[in-house]
Amino acid sequence: MPLRLLKYAWKKPEEELRFFPSEKPLKQSYDAVIIGGGGHGMACAYYLAKEHGITNVAVLEQGYIGGGNTGRNTTIVRSNYLTSEGVKFYDASLKLFEDLSEDFDLNIFYSTRGHFTLAHTDSAMRTMRWRAEVNKHHGIRSDVVDVETIQKDIPYMNVECNGQHPVMGALYHEPGAVARHDAVAWGYARGAQLRGVEIHQKTQVTGIQTQGGKVVGVQTNRGDIQTNKVISMVAGSTPRITRMLDIPTPIEVFPLQACVTEPVKPFMNTIVVSGSLHVYVSQSSRGELVMGASVDPAELHSTRSTLDFVEGLTDQMMDLFPFTSRLKIMRQWAGMSDITPDFAPIMGKTPVEGFYLDSGWGTWGFKATPISGKTMAHTVAHDQVHELIKPFALDRFENFKLVGEKGAASVGH
Amino acid sequence: MKFVNCPLIGKRALSEFTYGGVVKSEPDLESVTDREWAQFVFYRHSDPQIQFEWWYHRPTGIWFVFERDTLTDRIESIRMAQKGAVNDA
Amino acid sequence: MTLRLPPQPLEWIDRNETVSFEFEGKTYTGFKGDVISSALWANGVKVLGRSFKYHRRRGLLSFANHDVNALFQGQDRPNVRGDVVTIDENHSLQAVNTFGSLKSDKGSLVEWIGKFLPVGFYYRAFYSPRFLFPKWESLIRHMAGLGTVDTGWSEQRQPKRYHYCDVAVVGAGPSGMAAALEAAENGVEVCLIDENPFIGGSLDYQFANEETVFASRNRLKAAVFSHPNIQVLTDSTVAGYYGDHWLAVNTSQGLIKLSAQAVIAATGVFEQPAVFRNNDLPGVMNASAAQRLIARYGVAPCKEAVVLTSNPEGYRAALDLLASGVEVGAIVDTGEVSHKWVQKVLTKGIPVYKYAEIVEALGKKQLKGLVFKAAGGEYEIACDGLLMSVGWAPAGALVYQAGGKFSYDATAHQLLPSVLPDGMFACGRLNGVHEIGHQIEDGKLAGEMAAQYVTSHGTSKTESENSVVTRYREVSAHSHHYPIWEHPKGKNFVDFDEDIQLKDLKGAIAQGFDNIELMKRFSTIGMGPSQGKHSNMNGIRILARLTAKSIDETGSTTARPMFHPVPVSHLAGMRFRPERMTVLHDFHREANAKFMEAGNWLRPEYYQTAETKQACVEAEVSAVRSSAGLVDVSTLGKLEVFGPDAAALMDRLYTMNMSNMKLGSSRYALMVDDAGIITDDGVAVRYAEEHFYVTTTTGTSDAAYRLIQKKILEWGLNVTVVNRTGQLAAMNLAGPNSRRILAELTDIDLSNDGFPYLAMRQAPVAGCQATLIRVGFVGELGYEIHVNANDSATVWQAMMQAGKAYGIQPFGVEAQRLLRLEKGHIIVGQDTDGLMNPFEAGMPWAVHLKKPYFIGKKSLAKLKQSTSRTLVGFELQVNDAARRPLESNLIIEQGEMVGRVTSVGFSPALQKVIGLADIRQDLSDVGSSFQIKLTDGSFVSASVVATPFYDPDGSRQHPVENPKGAAA
Repeated sequence: MPLRLLKYAWKKPEEELRFFPSEKPLKQSYDAVIIGGGGHGMACAYYLAKEHGITNVAVLEQGYIGGGNTGRNTTIVRSNYLTSEGVKFYDASLKLFEDLSEDFDLNIFYSTRGHFTLAHTDSAMRTMRWRAEVNKHHGIRSDVVDVETIQKDIPYMNVECNGQHPVMGALYHEPGAVARHDAVAWGYARGAQLRGVEIHQKTQVTGIQTQGGKVVGVQTNRGDIQTNKVISMVAGSTPRITRMLDIPTPIEVFPLQACVTEPVKPFMNTIVVSGSLHVYVSQSSRGELVMGASVDPAELHSTRSTLDFVEGLTDQMMDLFPFTSRLKIMRQWAGMSDITPDFAPIMGKTPVEGFYLDSGWGTWGFKATPISGKTMAHTVAHDQVHELIKPFALDRFENFKLVGEKGAASVGH
Repeated sequence: MKFVNCPLIGKRALSEFTYGGVVKSEPDLESVTDREWAQFVFYRHSDPQIQFEWWYHRPTGIWFVFERDTLTDRIESIRMAQKGAVNDA
Repeated sequence: MTLRLPPQPLEWIDRNETVSFEFEGKTYTGFKGDVISSALWANGVKVLGRSFKYHRRRGLLSFANHDVNALFQGQDRPNVRGDVVTIDENHSLQAVNTFGSLKSDKGSLVEWIGKFLPVGFYYRAFYSPRFLFPKWESLIRHMAGLGTVDTGWSEQRQPKRYHYCDVAVVGAGPSGMAAALEAAENGVEVCLIDENPFIGGSLDYQFANEETVFASRNRLKAAVFSHPNIQVLTDSTVAGYYGDHWLAVNTSQGLIKLSAQAVIAATGVFEQPAVFRNNDLPGVMNASAAQRLIARYGVAPCKEAVVLTSNPEGYRAALDLLASGVEVGAIVDTGEVSHKWVQKVLTKGIPVYKYAEIVEALGKKQLKGLVFKAAGGEYEIACDGLLMSVGWAPAGALVYQAGGKFSYDATAHQLLPSVLPDGMFACGRLNGVHEIGHQIEDGKLAGEMAAQYVTSHGTSKTESENSVVTRYREVSAHSHHYPIWEHPKGKNFVDFDEDIQLKDLKGAIAQGFDNIELMKRFSTIGMGPSQGKHSNMNGIRILARLTAKSIDETGSTTARPMFHPVPVSHLAGMRFRPERMTVLHDFHREANAKFMEAGNWLRPEYYQTAETKQACVEAEVSAVRSSAGLVDVSTLGKLEVFGPDAAALMDRLYTMNMSNMKLGSSRYALMVDDAGIITDDGVAVRYAEEHFYVTTTTGTSDAAYRLIQKKILEWGLNVTVVNRTGQLAAMNLAGPNSRRILAELTDIDLSNDGFPYLAMRQAPVAGCQATLIRVGFVGELGYEIHVNANDSATVWQAMMQAGKAYGIQPFGVEAQRLLRLEKGHIIVGQDTDGLMNPFEAGMPWAVHLKKPYFIGKKSLAKLKQSTSRTLVGFELQVNDAARRPLESNLIIEQGEMVGRVTSVGFSPALQKVIGLADIRQDLSDVGSSFQIKLTDGSFVSASVVATPFYDPDGSRQHPVENPKGAAA
């Protein structure tokens, strides 16, 4: 039995360090205000405090910590992107993820499983090879594998897919991992709080005040705050915040749904994604199959569930895993994805001085949590955009310099 | 599973329709600046709102314009898209 | 020991038929209609399963389709619910998640070290040293999960049905039946839905012995069944509410998608367990579970019972026990329910202890007794059954999913609907109405309101603004406000699915997880298969108390679908995937085609005429280059455009000038989007001044058609577009002998002057009306021939016949790809990516920026000035078959990625490996060389060459020849 466990067990709960402080009043002013208490917001607060010594920071969360997309995603971490910009960024994120448990002194259950992206058409095979080549060029372990290799790792997969669109091969990404999503937000929150950052839950931003094109304050349902730096890290709520400052963006919000089966004894050790079948699946440490598909077809700012989603997902799922027809779907849910035209994020500075944006996460926000926090903290602390996120500037669209991640799109969570 | 109460074709399942984006009017190419054009192509305020949208009914091949609330998903009005629809939306 | 009782008046079992089944290697017998749990219980088997974390022995708890501790492993499925699945001769069952057997489960060792595994323990250890984590993780995964999956199980799919009604009443208990009847009486069509095999609900188990309801029960049921406006769906669970009054109804026969105009939630309540030490011992159960056991299956819950109660329902249950011959040792009342009830049981000789506080339940493997404090001190009463009747939580999932709200009623100590969405009504116990007569009245009112809502098309007024009816709600509590008792030694379980004790929640709250959602996520309360049905309410009460907040301030977690888990086979339904075949499919098959998928289409990839694919393809290529080949291109999108503004439309859609096309001519048609990105290409022809015909790529036909229709509307043009993709077939006859072959089948002048390159003609071919376009996609003299789909077989056959003398070969997609590559023609989607514009694609000639308008013009004007990459043709400097690049191999320059191979192939005509590459602009000059990184990491050198690779001056596409005569 690990020593840490003994120590934890012997302590009384009330002696345990609180992860989050109990409610307290807002201060009049902060050096920086982060909007959004999800993984990104907490990570940014953590790195601001830890790496830049900026601790007079408030994180404002309208609901509860990690209650947005941080707690709604399917927890996949990978770096097998198509563009150099994407690969470098997500690889840096993955490396941070690997260290997080020890960093936090909290197990985030970062578990490397290997990640198969199946190809069912020759054009998908070309895209997989493209990704593999780009990945390998950047030192990322990705390979195009044939059906035999897939079958060796996943012998129970029906590669014939019921005779239609059979699996032709896959992109295998060895570092592909899953993590306990909530723990990531909690770990960052606890670390930030320990260093003096204030976390205010149930605190909704209602306006952002500017003077002469510069941020001077934030209005909330609990009163006004003075600050010269505001960082918006709100994913699906981004258009609501940017509207306050009249900054139009290319972001549109679409629901992204997921569901889980009843728990069964773990049998699936890898992560499987099929773009053609709009399915991705992994099995959690609780034994549930965690499954998702592509975003809903129309804009909507809602986390409602639809039957169409589970119907479509289960139907396609059975092409690959016929035996799952005997399982039961236990729960479904949804998050709000902030999608950009080139499927790459929008990060960094904005036309309003002191207002920083971390958005456009689409369906990839969770895996970017550590690196977003780190690079945004750097950007805010130095008022200079971090090298890694320069390609993701908001003004790339008006300059027609799109990032090109869309080539690898389809379903690629 | 959502229903569309269409004045023209009756009550139909939303799944019969394909979303075609927000109705927006294109600036005049002669007078528009590059920046304004880029704004038209890429940028907008997409916070929750009641907006006019293109929806295509696949079985009949008809384009409709829905007035829809993107917060509640409530469809406030439906009409068949008319020629020059952009300008009177 | 048998606990089977004599026949009960309303029982669900058929005592004339016995059923034997296996459980944990032993054979048991029950009656037809018994569920697994009732049959085992009747046989004296009270340990039905092991708990998730500590592997403690567990029996019955709720007996209401969420007894997650009585889950069984079947031969053909995991997680079989013992409280609802009936026994079957074929059953050979095991308890899930045991290590060894149910009786001797090595997993129970976990309980010994349970002290070291407090809430969230797994967050606190195992991560350091890092290399050990996989070991720990694999141990945790080994312990996790419930049933076992056999990956060899076959696929199952259940057809789905659609159903429509005016009013859907969910729950066929007393209020639901009354609601259905009243609505039906008001003239609307009603669907009455219940998850149980029989209607009646609590009326049949909670009031089984209540003589005053005998008459109304029979009347209600008979009326429901005989009413022409009511359809009864039993064995049917409403798994979710999905907006617009769509309900997903799961039945054993599959899913019903039910569309209603209004919904009445008569879904009742979940009985909540009390929390005290050892409240999970087999024998401790909810009172309603015991009543179901008796009334439905004629099985006694125990021999000697104690009833723990906070409400009249507990007293009623005690009387039910007596009536079925079970001894009741005591009633342990947490307060003083009412004099009337106390008197009733006292007259039967049952002692009543008032204002009791529970200390603990006794027993190791099963319940042996209860220790509690009451006036006069501490008592210990021996018993083998403890019935808990301490309160109710709403089965409010549907109301929540529809957007309704609940708030806490401090009188009833129950969460009650406070806001109901438009068209939704609630009645009965869900609505806080427990008295039986009132339940029926409440149901009637809901039925009436729902009917009015439907007949008035949603305009009728209801009693209150929020549709909530409060007039029949209880004036006294039926729930204990805090049925939770501490014990220094713990083992007082709040959540039985997840083995969560009171101390776990305290620990979570103390660590700052003091928000209902955070507490859930940290402690996992409510996350098990019962999704909190028996644990959420107590969890809320505990959190509220520990944070000194009200229940309403504390809030509730979200109730998401599914209400009960639904089989994947039901949700998936039958498999309906489109698969399209061209009219010529049979010819291809007869010609031994190897098919490939292109979108939904099946197309010949190549014809199996030789041993290897490469040989087949080369033979096809060679036929085209040397004589003639025929390819089926019917999968192309085919659109017809006509009307006064047809030319204007074509100009606006495509990048090239189309309005100046001459009648009877064709032109390349390239389409980009607003951002200037290539989306589609094809060939356009002009039939008449106001009449065009244009093809799209195979994958984009529907989208292109939709877009064009939309653009016509946006631009307000007087023009019509018709999608003729399925109506027309098309084939491409190509090769030096194509003209001769065609000449045998048509009368038109095929000479270069009579039918020049890129011209279009409409004429009969083989007697069938056809459109002929002189094209050069594959780089030879060639004709694309479009005919009505039902003529295509005739034309195909005629050409194959006429071409026989010339050795004509049908050719497939692979040969076509190679042939077009030799010509340097791009394939949209292969050589272009999601962001490529025509300048980058090396097609500036296809962009006519002088036109006043076309889609994406403004973007292209800007992009033209900043092209940073371009498609080029290349050839390998050394032809080594073993070191040939693949499509998507990268081009590397000084360690940087500067491009990628988009197409590559060995050209039989040039005897070289040629390809197209997307490469950085500064490296794109003809003659410059670059390095391609192969998949194995080694490099090959390539040179940029001009395209077309083959026949650069195009002489083969328009050879001079006497059309009707001999070869030139």
